[in-house]
Amino acid sequence: MKGLLIKDLRLMKNMGNSLAIILLVAVGMSFYSSDMSFIVVYMAIIGTSFTSSTISYDEFDNGNAFLFSLPVSRKDYVLEKYLFAILMCGGGWLLGSVISIAVGTARSGLDPMEGMMTALVLLPVAVCLNVLLVPLRLKFEAEKSRIAQIVIMGGIFLVVIAGTKIAERLGIDLEALGERVPVMSAGMGIVVALGVCIALLLLSCHISIRIMERKEF
Amino acid sequence: MLKIENLHKSYGSFQLDCSMEVLQGRVTGLVGQNGAGKSTTFKAVLGLIRPDGGRIELLGKDGSRFGAKDKQKLGVVLSNAGFSGYLTIKDIVPVMDSLYARFDRAFFLEQVRRFGLPDSQKIKEFSTGMKAKLKVLTAISHRAQLLILDEPTAGLDVVARDELLELLRAFMEQDEDRGILISSHISGDLETLCDDIYMIHAGKIILHEDTDVLLDDYAVLKVDEEQYRTIDKRYILRSRKESFGYSCLTNQKRFYSENYPKVAILKGSIDEVIMMMIRGEAL
Repeated sequence: MKGLLIKDLRLMKNMGNSLAIILLVAVGMSFYSSDMSFIVVYMAIIGTSFTSSTISYDEFDNGNAFLFSLPVSRKDYVLEKYLFAILMCGGGWLLGSVISIAVGTARSGLDPMEGMMTALVLLPVAVCLNVLLVPLRLKFEAEKSRIAQIVIMGGIFLVVIAGTKIAERLGIDLEALGERVPVMSAGMGIVVALGVCIALLLLSCHISIRIMERKEF
Repeated sequence: MLKIENLHKSYGSFQLDCSMEVLQGRVTGLVGQNGAGKSTTFKAVLGLIRPDGGRIELLGKDGSRFGAKDKQKLGVVLSNAGFSGYLTIKDIVPVMDSLYARFDRAFFLEQVRRFGLPDSQKIKEFSTGMKAKLKVLTAISHRAQLLILDEPTAGLDVVARDELLELLRAFMEQDEDRGILISSHISGDLETLCDDIYMIHAGKIILHEDTDVLLDDYAVLKVDEEQYRTIDKRYILRSRKESFGYSCLTNQKRFYSENYPKVAILKGSIDEVIMMMIRGEAL
Protein backbone atom coordinates (compact mmCIF):
# COMPACT_ATOMS: atom_id res chain seq x y z
CA MET A 1 0.00 0.00 0.00
CA LYS A 2 2.93 2.32 0.72
CA GLY A 3 4.07 2.03 -2.88
CA LEU A 4 0.63 3.00 -4.18
CA LEU A 5 0.48 5.95 -1.82
CA ILE A 6 3.89 7.13 -3.04
CA LYS A 7 2.65 6.76 -6.63
CA ASP A 8 -0.42 8.89 -5.96
CA LEU A 9 1.54 11.52 -4.05
CA ARG A 10 4.05 11.69 -6.92
CA LEU A 11 1.18 12.11 -9.38
CA MET A 12 -0.09 14.93 -7.18
CA LYS A 13 3.33 16.53 -7.07
CA ASN A 14 3.32 16.59 -10.84
CA MET A 15 0.12 18.66 -10.65
CA GLY A 16 2.07 21.31 -8.69
CA ASN A 17 0.86 24.33 -10.68
CA SER A 18 -2.79 23.41 -10.30
CA LEU A 19 -2.33 23.07 -6.55
CA ALA A 20 -0.76 26.52 -6.28
CA ILE A 21 -3.63 28.06 -8.28
CA ILE A 22 -6.27 26.35 -6.10
CA LEU A 23 -4.57 27.64 -2.96
CA LEU A 24 -4.39 31.17 -4.33
CA VAL A 25 -8.10 31.05 -5.26
CA ALA A 26 -8.98 29.88 -1.74
CA VAL A 27 -6.95 32.70 -0.13
CA GLY A 28 -8.47 35.19 -2.58
CA MET A 29 -12.01 33.99 -1.87
CA SER A 30 -11.49 34.20 1.88
CA PHE A 31 -10.83 37.94 1.46
CA TYR A 32 -14.00 38.59 -0.51
CA SER A 33 -16.41 36.09 1.04
CA SER A 34 -17.70 36.29 4.56
CA ASP A 35 -19.02 32.74 4.32
CA MET A 36 -16.33 30.67 5.92
CA SER A 37 -18.10 27.37 5.31
CA PHE A 38 -17.97 27.93 1.54
CA ILE A 39 -14.15 28.05 1.52
CA VAL A 40 -13.83 25.02 3.82
CA VAL A 41 -16.20 22.93 1.68
CA TYR A 42 -14.55 24.23 -1.51
CA MET A 43 -11.14 23.08 -0.32
CA ALA A 44 -12.51 19.73 0.86
CA ILE A 45 -14.17 19.16 -2.52
CA ILE A 46 -10.95 20.06 -4.33
CA GLY A 47 -9.05 17.62 -2.07
CA THR A 48 -11.61 14.92 -2.83
CA SER A 49 -11.35 15.56 -6.56
CA PHE A 50 -7.63 14.68 -6.39
CA THR A 51 -8.60 11.13 -5.43
CA SER A 52 -10.84 11.00 -8.47
CA SER A 53 -7.96 12.32 -10.60
CA THR A 54 -5.57 9.60 -9.42
CA ILE A 55 -8.19 6.95 -10.26
CA SER A 56 -8.38 8.46 -13.75
CA TYR A 57 -4.58 8.36 -14.05
CA ASP A 58 -4.65 4.70 -13.02
CA GLU A 59 -7.30 3.87 -15.61
CA PHE A 60 -5.64 5.80 -18.42
CA ASP A 61 -3.99 3.60 -21.07
CA ASN A 62 -5.17 0.44 -19.33
CA GLY A 63 -2.89 1.25 -16.39
CA ASN A 64 -4.98 -0.75 -13.92
CA ALA A 65 -4.04 -3.99 -15.67
CA PHE A 66 -0.38 -3.22 -15.03
CA LEU A 67 -1.00 -2.05 -11.44
CA PHE A 68 -2.68 -5.33 -10.55
CA SER A 69 0.16 -7.35 -12.05
CA LEU A 70 2.38 -5.75 -9.37
CA PRO A 71 2.29 -7.08 -5.78
CA VAL A 72 -0.93 -5.20 -5.11
CA SER A 73 -4.28 -6.75 -4.22
CA ARG A 74 -7.57 -5.14 -5.14
CA LYS A 75 -8.26 -4.64 -1.44
CA ASP A 76 -4.88 -2.90 -0.98
CA TYR A 77 -5.75 -0.64 -3.89
CA VAL A 78 -9.12 0.37 -2.42
CA LEU A 79 -7.74 0.89 1.09
CA GLU A 80 -4.98 3.07 -0.33
CA LYS A 81 -7.53 5.14 -2.25
CA TYR A 82 -9.52 5.75 0.95
CA LEU A 83 -6.37 6.64 2.86
CA PHE A 84 -5.37 9.01 0.06
CA ALA A 85 -8.91 10.43 -0.04
CA ILE A 86 -8.88 11.07 3.71
CA LEU A 87 -5.46 12.70 3.46
CA MET A 88 -6.47 14.89 0.55
CA CYS A 89 -9.98 15.74 1.69
CA GLY A 90 -8.82 16.14 5.30
CA GLY A 91 -5.90 18.24 4.08
CA GLY A 92 -8.26 20.40 2.02
CA TRP A 93 -10.60 20.80 4.99
CA LEU A 94 -7.73 21.71 7.33
CA LEU A 95 -6.18 24.15 4.88
CA GLY A 96 -9.57 25.72 4.12
CA SER A 97 -10.28 26.03 7.84
CA VAL A 98 -6.90 27.58 8.64
CA ILE A 99 -7.13 30.06 5.76
CA SER A 100 -10.70 31.14 6.48
CA ILE A 101 -10.21 31.37 10.26
CA ALA A 102 -6.95 33.30 9.84
CA VAL A 103 -8.35 35.72 7.27
CA GLY A 104 -11.71 35.96 9.09
CA THR A 105 -10.02 36.74 12.42
CA ALA A 106 -7.71 39.34 10.89
CA ARG A 107 -10.33 40.98 8.66
CA SER A 108 -13.65 40.86 10.43
CA GLY A 109 -12.75 39.94 13.99
CA LEU A 110 -14.06 36.37 13.74
CA ASP A 111 -13.82 34.53 17.04
CA PRO A 112 -11.28 31.73 16.33
CA MET A 113 -13.20 29.33 18.61
CA GLU A 114 -16.40 29.98 16.71
CA GLY A 115 -14.49 29.46 13.45
CA MET A 116 -13.14 26.15 14.70
CA MET A 117 -16.63 24.98 15.67
CA THR A 118 -17.91 25.85 12.17
CA ALA A 119 -14.99 23.95 10.66
CA LEU A 120 -15.70 20.93 12.88
CA VAL A 121 -19.38 20.96 11.90
CA LEU A 122 -18.26 20.84 8.26
CA LEU A 123 -15.84 17.93 8.83
CA PRO A 124 -18.58 15.23 8.56
CA VAL A 125 -19.71 16.85 5.29
CA ALA A 126 -16.15 16.54 3.98
CA VAL A 127 -15.94 12.88 5.05
CA CYS A 128 -19.31 12.13 3.45
CA LEU A 129 -18.08 13.48 0.11
CA ASN A 130 -15.70 10.53 -0.07
CA VAL A 131 -18.34 8.05 1.07
CA LEU A 132 -20.17 8.78 -2.16
CA LEU A 133 -17.39 9.64 -4.54
CA VAL A 134 -14.92 6.76 -4.23
CA PRO A 135 -17.27 3.81 -4.93
CA LEU A 136 -19.00 5.73 -7.75
CA ARG A 137 -15.68 6.61 -9.32
CA LEU A 138 -14.44 3.02 -9.03
CA LYS A 139 -17.67 1.66 -10.49
CA PHE A 140 -18.09 4.08 -13.38
CA GLU A 141 -15.75 5.89 -15.71
CA ALA A 142 -15.15 9.58 -14.95
CA GLU A 143 -18.06 11.04 -16.96
CA LYS A 144 -20.65 8.45 -15.89
CA SER A 145 -19.46 8.79 -12.29
CA ARG A 146 -20.14 12.54 -12.41
CA ILE A 147 -23.66 11.92 -13.75
CA ALA A 148 -24.27 9.27 -11.07
CA GLN A 149 -23.17 11.72 -8.35
CA ILE A 150 -25.57 14.39 -9.64
CA VAL A 151 -28.40 11.83 -9.85
CA ILE A 152 -27.76 10.60 -6.29
CA MET A 153 -27.46 14.11 -4.83
CA GLY A 154 -30.64 15.08 -6.68
CA GLY A 155 -32.30 11.91 -5.38
CA ILE A 156 -31.37 12.72 -1.78
CA PHE A 157 -32.66 16.28 -2.23
CA LEU A 158 -35.96 15.01 -3.68
CA VAL A 159 -36.41 12.50 -0.85
CA VAL A 160 -35.91 15.25 1.74
CA ILE A 161 -38.35 17.60 -0.03
CA ALA A 162 -40.90 14.82 -0.53
CA GLY A 163 -40.54 13.74 3.11
CA THR A 164 -41.15 17.28 4.31
CA LYS A 165 -44.20 17.69 2.05
CA ILE A 166 -45.68 14.35 3.14
CA ALA A 167 -45.12 15.27 6.80
CA GLU A 168 -46.87 18.60 6.19
CA ARG A 169 -49.87 16.86 4.59
CA LEU A 170 -50.07 14.40 7.46
CA GLY A 171 -49.97 17.31 9.85
CA ILE A 172 -46.67 16.34 11.46
CA ASP A 173 -44.76 19.34 12.79
CA LEU A 174 -41.12 18.48 12.05
CA GLU A 175 -39.76 21.47 13.97
CA ALA A 176 -41.66 20.46 17.11
CA LEU A 177 -40.44 16.91 16.58
CA GLY A 178 -36.88 18.17 16.36
CA GLU A 179 -37.22 20.06 19.59
CA ARG A 180 -38.33 16.89 21.38
CA VAL A 181 -35.07 15.12 20.42
CA PRO A 182 -32.81 15.02 23.53
CA VAL A 183 -30.68 18.11 23.53
CA MET A 184 -27.03 17.42 22.80
CA SER A 185 -24.14 19.78 23.19
CA ALA A 186 -22.62 21.01 19.92
CA GLY A 187 -19.46 19.01 20.67
CA MET A 188 -21.43 15.82 21.26
CA GLY A 189 -23.38 16.47 18.06
CA ILE A 190 -20.16 16.69 16.06
CA VAL A 191 -18.83 13.48 17.64
CA VAL A 192 -22.08 11.63 16.82
CA ALA A 193 -22.07 13.00 13.26
CA LEU A 194 -18.44 12.01 12.80
CA GLY A 195 -19.19 8.53 14.17
CA VAL A 196 -22.01 8.13 11.66
CA CYS A 197 -19.71 9.37 8.88
CA ILE A 198 -16.95 6.92 9.82
CA ALA A 199 -19.49 4.06 9.81
CA LEU A 200 -20.65 5.19 6.35
CA LEU A 201 -17.02 5.43 5.25
CA LEU A 202 -16.37 1.83 6.35
CA LEU A 203 -19.51 0.69 4.52
CA SER A 204 -18.45 2.64 1.44
CA CYS A 205 -14.97 1.06 1.62
CA HIS A 206 -16.53 -2.41 1.83
CA ILE A 207 -18.67 -1.69 -1.24
CA SER A 208 -15.64 -0.34 -3.12
CA ILE A 209 -13.65 -3.51 -2.41
CA ARG A 210 -16.54 -5.58 -3.80
CA ILE A 211 -16.65 -3.36 -6.91
CA MET A 212 -12.92 -3.75 -7.55
CA GLU A 213 -12.91 -7.49 -6.90
CA ARG A 214 -15.54 -7.94 -9.60
CA LYS A 215 -13.70 -5.88 -12.19
CA GLU A 216 -11.74 -7.36 -15.09
CA PHE A 217 -8.88 -5.56 -16.78
CA MET B 1 6.56 -22.94 -12.93
CA LEU B 2 3.34 -22.31 -14.79
CA LYS B 3 0.78 -24.90 -15.79
CA ILE B 4 -2.42 -24.02 -17.60
CA GLU B 5 -5.01 -26.75 -18.03
CA ASN B 6 -8.06 -26.23 -20.24
CA LEU B 7 -8.29 -22.53 -19.54
CA HIS B 8 -11.62 -21.29 -20.85
CA LYS B 9 -12.72 -17.74 -21.41
CA SER B 10 -15.42 -16.44 -23.73
CA TYR B 11 -15.84 -12.96 -25.18
CA GLY B 12 -18.83 -13.04 -27.51
CA SER B 13 -17.86 -15.33 -30.38
CA PHE B 14 -14.24 -15.63 -29.20
CA GLN B 15 -13.53 -18.73 -27.14
CA LEU B 16 -10.20 -19.37 -25.43
CA ASP B 17 -9.39 -23.00 -24.71
CA CYS B 18 -5.74 -23.18 -23.78
CA SER B 19 -3.40 -25.66 -22.10
CA MET B 20 0.31 -25.03 -21.79
CA GLU B 21 3.26 -25.26 -19.45
CA VAL B 22 6.39 -23.27 -18.64
CA LEU B 23 9.14 -25.34 -17.08
CA GLN B 24 11.90 -24.25 -14.73
CA GLY B 25 15.04 -23.05 -16.50
CA ARG B 26 13.25 -22.61 -19.81
CA VAL B 27 12.08 -19.75 -21.96
CA THR B 28 8.71 -20.55 -23.49
CA GLY B 29 7.29 -18.56 -26.38
CA LEU B 30 3.65 -17.99 -27.23
CA VAL B 31 3.02 -16.91 -30.80
CA GLY B 32 -0.10 -16.15 -32.73
CA GLN B 33 -1.90 -13.48 -34.70
CA ASN B 34 -3.51 -10.42 -33.15
CA GLY B 35 -6.66 -11.53 -31.35
CA ALA B 36 -5.52 -15.17 -31.20
CA GLY B 37 -5.78 -15.23 -27.39
CA LYS B 38 -2.23 -14.45 -26.22
CA SER B 39 -3.10 -11.43 -24.09
CA THR B 40 -6.24 -13.13 -22.73
CA THR B 41 -4.06 -16.04 -21.59
CA PHE B 42 -1.57 -13.66 -19.95
CA LYS B 43 -4.37 -11.75 -18.22
CA ALA B 44 -5.95 -14.94 -16.89
CA VAL B 45 -2.59 -16.08 -15.50
CA LEU B 46 -2.15 -12.72 -13.77
CA GLY B 47 -5.67 -12.78 -12.31
CA LEU B 48 -6.72 -9.71 -14.28
CA ILE B 49 -9.69 -11.56 -15.73
CA ARG B 50 -11.78 -14.40 -14.30
CA PRO B 51 -11.55 -17.62 -16.32
CA ASP B 52 -14.83 -19.37 -17.16
CA GLY B 53 -13.17 -22.73 -16.51
CA GLY B 54 -9.93 -24.64 -16.27
CA ARG B 55 -7.02 -24.53 -13.89
CA ILE B 56 -3.92 -22.40 -13.54
CA GLU B 57 -1.00 -23.37 -11.34
CA LEU B 58 1.55 -20.64 -10.80
CA LEU B 59 4.83 -21.26 -8.95
CA GLY B 60 3.29 -24.27 -7.22
CA LYS B 61 0.14 -22.44 -6.13
CA ASP B 62 -3.39 -22.56 -7.45
CA GLY B 63 -4.01 -19.44 -9.56
CA SER B 64 -7.05 -18.38 -7.51
CA ARG B 65 -4.88 -18.36 -4.38
CA PHE B 66 -1.97 -16.54 -5.93
CA GLY B 67 -2.01 -13.32 -3.91
CA ALA B 68 -0.26 -9.98 -3.89
CA LYS B 69 2.63 -11.36 -1.83
CA ASP B 70 3.20 -14.15 -4.36
CA LYS B 71 3.40 -11.58 -7.15
CA GLN B 72 6.73 -10.49 -5.69
CA LYS B 73 8.10 -13.48 -7.60
CA LEU B 74 6.70 -12.36 -10.94
CA GLY B 75 8.09 -9.85 -13.39
CA VAL B 76 5.46 -8.65 -15.83
CA VAL B 77 5.37 -6.74 -19.08
CA LEU B 78 1.95 -6.08 -20.63
CA SER B 79 1.81 -5.01 -24.25
CA ASN B 80 -0.61 -2.14 -23.76
CA ALA B 81 -0.14 -1.12 -20.14
CA GLY B 82 2.50 0.23 -17.82
CA PHE B 83 3.11 2.85 -15.16
CA SER B 84 1.13 6.07 -15.59
CA GLY B 85 2.59 8.25 -18.32
CA TYR B 86 2.42 11.17 -15.89
CA LEU B 87 5.15 9.68 -13.72
CA THR B 88 8.90 9.88 -14.28
CA ILE B 89 11.56 7.22 -13.67
CA LYS B 90 12.52 9.17 -10.54
CA ASP B 91 8.92 8.72 -9.35
CA ILE B 92 8.91 5.01 -10.15
CA VAL B 93 12.04 4.12 -8.18
CA PRO B 94 10.56 4.69 -4.68
CA VAL B 95 7.31 3.02 -5.78
CA MET B 96 9.18 -0.12 -6.91
CA ASP B 97 11.31 0.05 -3.77
CA SER B 98 8.20 -0.02 -1.60
CA LEU B 99 6.33 -2.64 -3.61
CA TYR B 100 9.15 -5.17 -4.07
CA ALA B 101 11.10 -6.52 -1.12
CA ARG B 102 13.97 -7.49 -3.44
CA PHE B 103 14.04 -4.48 -5.75
CA ASP B 104 17.61 -3.96 -6.97
CA ARG B 105 17.73 -0.19 -7.13
CA ALA B 106 21.40 -0.01 -8.18
CA PHE B 107 20.89 -2.48 -11.05
CA PHE B 108 17.75 -0.68 -12.22
CA LEU B 109 19.41 2.74 -12.24
CA GLU B 110 22.50 1.34 -13.94
CA GLN B 111 20.36 -0.12 -16.73
CA VAL B 112 18.39 3.13 -17.02
CA ARG B 113 21.68 4.94 -17.62
CA ARG B 114 22.91 2.21 -20.00
CA PHE B 115 19.81 2.52 -22.15
CA GLY B 116 19.93 6.31 -22.01
CA LEU B 117 16.47 6.71 -20.47
CA PRO B 118 15.80 10.22 -19.12
CA ASP B 119 14.92 9.90 -15.44
CA SER B 120 13.18 13.24 -15.01
CA GLN B 121 11.01 13.19 -18.12
CA LYS B 122 7.39 12.06 -17.98
CA ILE B 123 6.95 8.56 -19.41
CA LYS B 124 4.21 9.77 -21.77
CA GLU B 125 6.88 11.82 -23.55
CA PHE B 126 9.08 8.73 -24.10
CA SER B 127 9.40 7.15 -27.53
CA THR B 128 7.81 3.70 -28.06
CA GLY B 129 11.25 2.11 -27.77
CA MET B 130 12.06 3.92 -24.54
CA LYS B 131 8.75 2.84 -23.02
CA ALA B 132 9.43 -0.78 -24.02
CA LYS B 133 12.89 -0.69 -22.44
CA LEU B 134 11.52 0.75 -19.21
CA LYS B 135 8.84 -1.94 -19.01
CA VAL B 136 11.39 -4.73 -19.35
CA LEU B 137 13.73 -3.09 -16.84
CA THR B 138 10.99 -2.83 -14.22
CA ALA B 139 10.14 -6.51 -14.79
CA ILE B 140 13.68 -7.81 -14.31
CA SER B 141 14.86 -5.56 -11.48
CA HIS B 142 13.40 -7.33 -8.47
CA ARG B 143 14.89 -10.82 -8.81
CA ALA B 144 11.67 -12.40 -10.03
CA GLN B 145 11.41 -16.14 -10.48
CA LEU B 146 9.11 -16.07 -13.48
CA LEU B 147 8.85 -13.39 -16.14
CA ILE B 148 5.56 -13.03 -17.99
CA LEU B 149 6.26 -10.83 -20.98
CA ASP B 150 3.57 -9.88 -23.47
CA GLU B 151 5.19 -8.37 -26.57
CA PRO B 152 8.15 -6.89 -24.69
CA THR B 153 10.12 -6.00 -27.82
CA ALA B 154 7.29 -4.34 -29.76
CA GLY B 155 8.39 -1.06 -31.30
CA LEU B 156 12.09 -1.57 -30.69
CA ASP B 157 14.78 -1.22 -33.35
CA VAL B 158 17.07 -4.16 -34.07
CA VAL B 159 19.91 -2.97 -31.81
CA ALA B 160 17.67 -2.18 -28.84
CA ARG B 161 15.87 -5.48 -29.31
CA ASP B 162 19.12 -7.35 -29.25
CA GLU B 163 20.18 -5.51 -26.08
CA LEU B 164 16.92 -6.42 -24.37
CA LEU B 165 17.13 -10.05 -25.43
CA GLU B 166 20.65 -10.07 -24.01
CA LEU B 167 19.24 -8.78 -20.71
CA LEU B 168 16.71 -11.59 -20.69
CA ARG B 169 19.42 -14.18 -21.40
CA ALA B 170 21.50 -12.75 -18.56
CA PHE B 171 18.43 -12.90 -16.34
CA MET B 172 18.10 -16.62 -17.06
CA GLU B 173 21.82 -17.32 -16.60
CA GLN B 174 21.86 -15.75 -13.11
CA ASP B 175 19.61 -18.44 -11.67
CA GLU B 176 18.67 -21.77 -13.21
CA ASP B 177 15.41 -21.89 -11.27
CA ARG B 178 14.00 -19.02 -13.28
CA GLY B 179 11.65 -19.18 -16.24
CA ILE B 180 10.16 -16.89 -18.86
CA LEU B 181 6.88 -16.92 -20.76
CA ILE B 182 7.12 -14.52 -23.67
CA SER B 183 4.89 -13.57 -26.56
CA SER B 184 6.18 -11.77 -29.61
CA HIS B 185 5.30 -10.95 -33.17
CA ILE B 186 8.96 -10.99 -34.09
CA SER B 187 9.94 -14.56 -34.89
CA GLY B 188 13.65 -13.71 -34.72
CA ASP B 189 13.24 -12.92 -31.01
CA LEU B 190 11.65 -16.27 -30.37
CA GLU B 191 14.08 -18.29 -32.50
CA THR B 192 17.09 -16.97 -30.63
CA LEU B 193 15.61 -16.85 -27.13
CA CYS B 194 12.99 -19.56 -26.64
CA ASP B 195 13.55 -23.19 -25.74
CA ASP B 196 10.06 -24.16 -26.80
CA ILE B 197 7.19 -22.47 -28.58
CA TYR B 198 3.41 -22.70 -28.37
CA MET B 199 1.36 -21.52 -31.30
CA ILE B 200 -2.12 -20.21 -30.59
CA HIS B 201 -4.84 -19.58 -33.15
CA ALA B 202 -8.48 -18.58 -32.61
CA GLY B 203 -8.12 -19.30 -28.90
CA LYS B 204 -6.63 -22.78 -29.28
CA ILE B 205 -3.08 -24.09 -29.05
CA ILE B 206 -2.41 -25.56 -32.47
CA LEU B 207 1.25 -26.48 -32.04
CA HIS B 208 3.82 -27.00 -29.30
CA GLU B 209 7.38 -27.81 -30.19
CA ASP B 210 10.96 -27.31 -29.03
CA THR B 211 12.51 -24.45 -30.97
CA ASP B 212 15.43 -26.64 -32.10
CA VAL B 213 13.02 -29.21 -33.49
CA LEU B 214 10.98 -26.51 -35.15
CA LEU B 215 14.01 -25.05 -36.87
CA ASP B 216 15.75 -28.36 -37.70
CA ASP B 217 12.92 -30.76 -38.55
CA TYR B 218 10.14 -28.55 -39.86
CA ALA B 219 10.20 -27.51 -43.51
CA VAL B 220 7.95 -26.37 -46.31
CA LEU B 221 7.88 -28.55 -49.41
CA LYS B 222 7.13 -26.84 -52.70
CA VAL B 223 5.59 -29.45 -55.02
CA ASP B 224 3.76 -29.41 -58.33
CA GLU B 225 0.41 -31.14 -58.89
CA GLU B 226 2.02 -34.42 -59.99
CA GLN B 227 4.45 -34.54 -57.05
CA TYR B 228 1.59 -33.70 -54.69
CA ARG B 229 -0.45 -36.66 -55.96
CA THR B 230 2.37 -39.15 -55.46
CA ILE B 231 4.17 -37.84 -52.38
CA ASP B 232 3.89 -39.78 -49.09
CA LYS B 233 1.60 -37.59 -47.00
CA ARG B 234 2.14 -39.32 -43.65
CA TYR B 235 4.32 -36.47 -42.33
CA ILE B 236 2.52 -33.59 -43.97
CA LEU B 237 0.90 -31.43 -41.28
CA ARG B 238 -0.70 -28.80 -43.52
CA SER B 239 -0.93 -28.15 -47.23
CA ARG B 240 -1.90 -25.10 -49.19
CA LYS B 241 -2.83 -24.65 -52.84
CA GLU B 242 -0.45 -22.33 -54.68
CA SER B 243 -0.14 -21.13 -58.28
CA PHE B 244 2.72 -23.60 -58.93
CA GLY B 245 1.06 -26.52 -57.12
CA TYR B 246 1.14 -26.97 -53.33
CA SER B 247 3.11 -25.84 -50.28
CA CYS B 248 3.24 -28.58 -47.66
CA LEU B 249 4.39 -28.23 -44.06
CA THR B 250 6.24 -31.21 -42.63
CA ASN B 251 7.89 -31.99 -39.33
CA GLN B 252 10.08 -34.67 -40.99
CA LYS B 253 12.33 -32.68 -43.28
CA ARG B 254 14.93 -35.45 -43.47
CA PHE B 255 12.41 -38.04 -44.64
CA TYR B 256 11.48 -35.92 -47.65
CA SER B 257 15.01 -34.74 -48.45
CA GLU B 258 16.19 -38.35 -48.52
CA ASN B 259 13.20 -39.88 -50.35
CA TYR B 260 12.23 -37.01 -52.64
CA PRO B 261 15.48 -35.37 -53.77
CA LYS B 262 13.72 -33.51 -56.58
CA VAL B 263 11.28 -31.73 -54.26
CA ALA B 264 12.20 -28.15 -53.31
CA ILE B 265 12.48 -28.02 -49.54
CA LEU B 266 12.56 -24.69 -47.69
CA LYS B 267 14.05 -24.71 -44.21
CA GLY B 268 11.36 -24.08 -41.62
CA SER B 269 11.21 -20.71 -39.93
CA ILE B 270 8.75 -19.78 -37.25
CA ASP B 271 7.03 -17.35 -39.64
CA GLU B 272 6.62 -20.07 -42.29
CA VAL B 273 5.32 -22.56 -39.75
CA ILE B 274 2.81 -20.04 -38.34
CA MET B 275 1.64 -19.17 -41.84
CA MET B 276 1.18 -22.79 -42.85
CA MET B 277 -0.44 -23.86 -39.58
CA ILE B 278 -2.99 -21.07 -39.84
CA ARG B 279 -3.63 -20.84 -43.58
CA GLY B 280 -2.96 -24.41 -44.60
CA GLU B 281 -5.41 -27.29 -44.54
CA ALA B 282 -4.93 -30.33 -42.34
CA LEU B 283 -4.82 -33.57 -44.33
